[in-house]
Amino acid sequence: MPVILEARDLVKRYPLRSGSVEALRGVSLSVAQGEFVAIMGTSGSGKSTMLHLLGGLDRPTSGEVVIDGVNISRLDDERATITRRQKTGFVFQFFNLIPLLNVAENVALPFLIAGDSLADHRDRIDELLDLVGLSGKAGHRPDQLSAGEQQRVALARALAPSPAILLADEPTGNLDYTTGSEILHLLWDSCERLGQTIVLVTHDAGAAAYADRVLVVRDGEILDSIDLGRRADHEARPLILRLAALGL
Amino acid sequence: MRLAAIAWRGLAVRPLRTALTAMGVALGVAVIAASLMAGQAATDAVRRAAQELLGSAQLRVRAFETAGFTPRTITTLRKISGVNNAAAVSEERVRSVTTNPGPDEKVFTLLLIGVDPADEALIRTYELAGGSFLDDGDPTGVLVNAGWARENDVQIGDALLLNGRRAEVPANHVVGLLADTGFGALGAGALVVLDRSFLAEAFEVPVAVRYVDLQVAEGREADVQASLDALLTEPFVVETLADAERQLGRAQAGFSGLAFLFGLVALAVGAFLVANTLAMTLAERTREIGLLRAAGTTSRQVLGLFLRQGIALAVIGAVGGVVLGVVLASLMIAFLQSSRALLIGGLPFHPLALLLAVVLGVVVTLAAALVPALAAARVSPLDALRPSRQPGRTLGGRLPWLAGLVIAAVAIGLVAYPLQRGESSLPGALLAVAILLGGALLVTVLLQPAAAIVGRPFAAFFGAQGYLGRANLRRDPVRTGLTVGALAIGLASVVALGIVSSSARATAERWVDSILPGGYAIRLAVTDEIETIRPTFEGIIGVERASPISEFPAVELARDSQREVAIAGIDPTAFQDSGSLIMSEGSRRIAFQGLRDGGSILIPEALAARDGLALGDIVDLAQPGGEGQPFRVAGIVAYSLPTTTAEGAILMSLADARDRFGVTDASLWVLEPEDDIPDATFGNAVAATAAELSALPMTSTDLASELGRSLDRLIGLFDVLALLAVVIGALGIVNTMAVGVVERGREIAILRSHGMTAGQVQAMVVAEASIIGAVGGLAAVGIGTLVAVVTVFFAAPGDFVGGLAMPWGLLLAVVLLGIGVASAAGIFPARAAASMPITEQLRHFE
Repeated sequence: MPVILEARDLVKRYPLRSGSVEALRGVSLSVAQGEFVAIMGTSGSGKSTMLHLLGGLDRPTSGEVVIDGVNISRLDDERATITRRQKTGFVFQFFNLIPLLNVAENVALPFLIAGDSLADHRDRIDELLDLVGLSGKAGHRPDQLSAGEQQRVALARALAPSPAILLADEPTGNLDYTTGSEILHLLWDSCERLGQTIVLVTHDAGAAAYADRVLVVRDGEILDSIDLGRRADHEARPLILRLAALGL
Repeated sequence: MRLAAIAWRGLAVRPLRTALTAMGVALGVAVIAASLMAGQAATDAVRRAAQELLGSAQLRVRAFETAGFTPRTITTLRKISGVNNAAAVSEERVRSVTTNPGPDEKVFTLLLIGVDPADEALIRTYELAGGSFLDDGDPTGVLVNAGWARENDVQIGDALLLNGRRAEVPANHVVGLLADTGFGALGAGALVVLDRSFLAEAFEVPVAVRYVDLQVAEGREADVQASLDALLTEPFVVETLADAERQLGRAQAGFSGLAFLFGLVALAVGAFLVANTLAMTLAERTREIGLLRAAGTTSRQVLGLFLRQGIALAVIGAVGGVVLGVVLASLMIAFLQSSRALLIGGLPFHPLALLLAVVLGVVVTLAAALVPALAAARVSPLDALRPSRQPGRTLGGRLPWLAGLVIAAVAIGLVAYPLQRGESSLPGALLAVAILLGGALLVTVLLQPAAAIVGRPFAAFFGAQGYLGRANLRRDPVRTGLTVGALAIGLASVVALGIVSSSARATAERWVDSILPGGYAIRLAVTDEIETIRPTFEGIIGVERASPISEFPAVELARDSQREVAIAGIDPTAFQDSGSLIMSEGSRRIAFQGLRDGGSILIPEALAARDGLALGDIVDLAQPGGEGQPFRVAGIVAYSLPTTTAEGAILMSLADARDRFGVTDASLWVLEPEDDIPDATFGNAVAATAAELSALPMTSTDLASELGRSLDRLIGLFDVLALLAVVIGALGIVNTMAVGVVERGREIAILRSHGMTAGQVQAMVVAEASIIGAVGGLAAVGIGTLVAVVTVFFAAPGDFVGGLAMPWGLLLAVVLLGIGVASAAGIFPARAAASMPITEQLRHFE
């Protein structure tokens, strides 16, 4: 499969009062189209920083990120944002939804931002709400939904513009086991059935076990790449054993 | 660290918000201090002007007749026992004066004041800005106002020629420049003071001696008054310093009160700002307060913490406000002095005004701070620390204290108001303020539906950004409502002033139109026999009809007293045919027929109201000392010819004036043009005739414009004060939007992560601000109109007989101003929102 996302020698340094701290130290990776990749690591390992750089939310101190053939690191803020709008979808852990908009409006947000109206994409929104099992709740406000339902809406929104890559940052970190599993199933399902490329950041081996491949990050570097392959059972045991072997 | 230090740290941690809030209070205090000081300066100026005008004289004996006092009477006055010195003053209301003929010749219309230099030295002190005083040896020397001379490029040594002077009389020349004191302050500075002996001989008809000021020996005033009654054969009126103050102060009645009300409004807007800021602080820090409470901090300590913040804001605001107030007062006084809209002195040292402004500022700020402080003290630690807790933002809980705050502000004003109140209606003025503040609270309640409607065009224009901007207004309706309300108060003041000004102007135009049949007139410097001069006026090119108006004083006899009135003899047919005079009561046809038949009069509304007169009543009018003659009130008119008394002239026929009062001369001629003559041609012909007669040409357009200009000068000042309230409202928008942006940081980051560009984020915040401005502007139009209606119909109905005149252009401009000011205020928060680093806002913590 062709490479859809590529990172080349990414370095990210944060200035401090005296000197600086290096969050990423020359990370390189590539993600193939339709692949489900998980980035795992402990708190402070640099995994979220890596996701932000891969999604174009932040700029690397050095190195490059290429999304679907576009070198996003060389674009100005305006063009980088538009590329992000067209080629990526994000799901975060907390406060994913705009509380003033209803479910359908939240899902349609990327279209609204692009200048389209909700009516222009009604079919697509209905399709996505059906996919995440919220067909009857299009008019609900976020505060009328459970945490799991809110995260489903966030997932539908991330998929709305049919992005080249879906980036998820601890999407189950705020959910109970059952609800979290439902979200992970939805992610896997979109990858399996729709061919959606996914990059998932998590510290939970159970969540990472849904991925085809797991990149283990420590101290701002990729420690190992664990190839799990596409598996319908999402069994976490093989991954846990490999992690144990790495001393994690 | 002491607990109290947390209060200061709470303010220091948000320096922009603290600074904006303190600035809001400071501006409110500044407007109060400045308006009180300017009011004091105006009052001082009137008192000083009256004292300067009377000098060391205690009594002014004024001639009742327009012909003035004869030399014999002046001599009699000088010889009265107890009179140490006497200074006779001749006066002519207006006289056309020119500079040397040539291409640069200038023409002025000036008040002429003739004095005896030697006598003046004993009675009055003249403050000269340049040159020297009049010299007995040089009767052609004149003094002019220094400011007027500067404006008109007239200098010491320049020649001034009095039009209409006899052929052999030489030109005058400027010898000195008067400061804006004493005579120099009269006639808005458009005057010349010269030797009375010169004035007595310069014209065919000498300029009349209008009054004589008497310096009376101590304790002899009663004796002198008795002697005046016994010795003077000509009718006269005795005036004292208090009378002079009253007459001079009439023009500024209401200024001080109105200025103070604007200060109160500005302070109320500042109070909205404080209340809002502290409520925002409370919402932000509830969890922190919960922690403090859980750690053992008492409710009283939390209350003290918030009150300390209120006190700090109040003190910073009040001290800053006093400094700003002195600067603002200087600017206001300088403006009033330069525009001559008002008699006003220099910046007064008025510690009471400063103290009052500080006290009001501190009290109103603390009142605004009290309820958030009480709410903070009531925060339950369990509730505050619950993870799912949402900040309490219900409207119902915060409105009662806001209403209380408004009432407190008005009550404080009520207590302080009489200090500087003019002659305007207190209940009406307070009702106007109550509507302003009540309207602002109503805006808070109605914000949501209003924003939903008003925001539609913005959503359409800005797209998703406008849609989101409009939706954002739902986030904290009370906070946003207060912000809109504060802005609306300032804008509503501009609207109210505009409508009041426009209504006053319409009234003035209607008045001028109704008293000048045909729209043209010539006022003679000296009255002349009607039939002698009639051919001159009837000979003007294009004149259809020339009608004389005889103006003369008389007395109205009541049961056991008499009152001075002014009478104007008119040609009833001319006024009736041209549709002049607006009848308030009575049939127009019957009224004019009554005048033609004789024995009837038309009285102005103000006089009817003052004396309780109605149609058909009999009024006894007489010359001073003469027998009363009965006249029947045949009609009541909305406006009459202006007089020195406030009520206007009683109108009777020229025939009655001649047959019953022996008046055969006229000072004013109204001229009706033929239908087919162009205005410009006729106007030029009237001006040429006026110049030949050394008289003053008048047109209804010029008169109305002049009235409008004087009105604009005063209203302009209040507009500035109202705009200061708008600035305070704008500070509130910056404050509220900035807090909103910080609160929504993560949400904005999510929008950015989904592809919203920095420009779109800016547009979203500016759209939100614009909607706030549009709602504020539209609300201001409604509130301001209501305030104007109250002012026009209830507070000062006598001044607005023309009713309400809506300046539609201004109303549109105010809505656009609201949008513009709010959008500008939204730029800073918008830039802050757009520049927030996305990744920082997305960190995994709550």
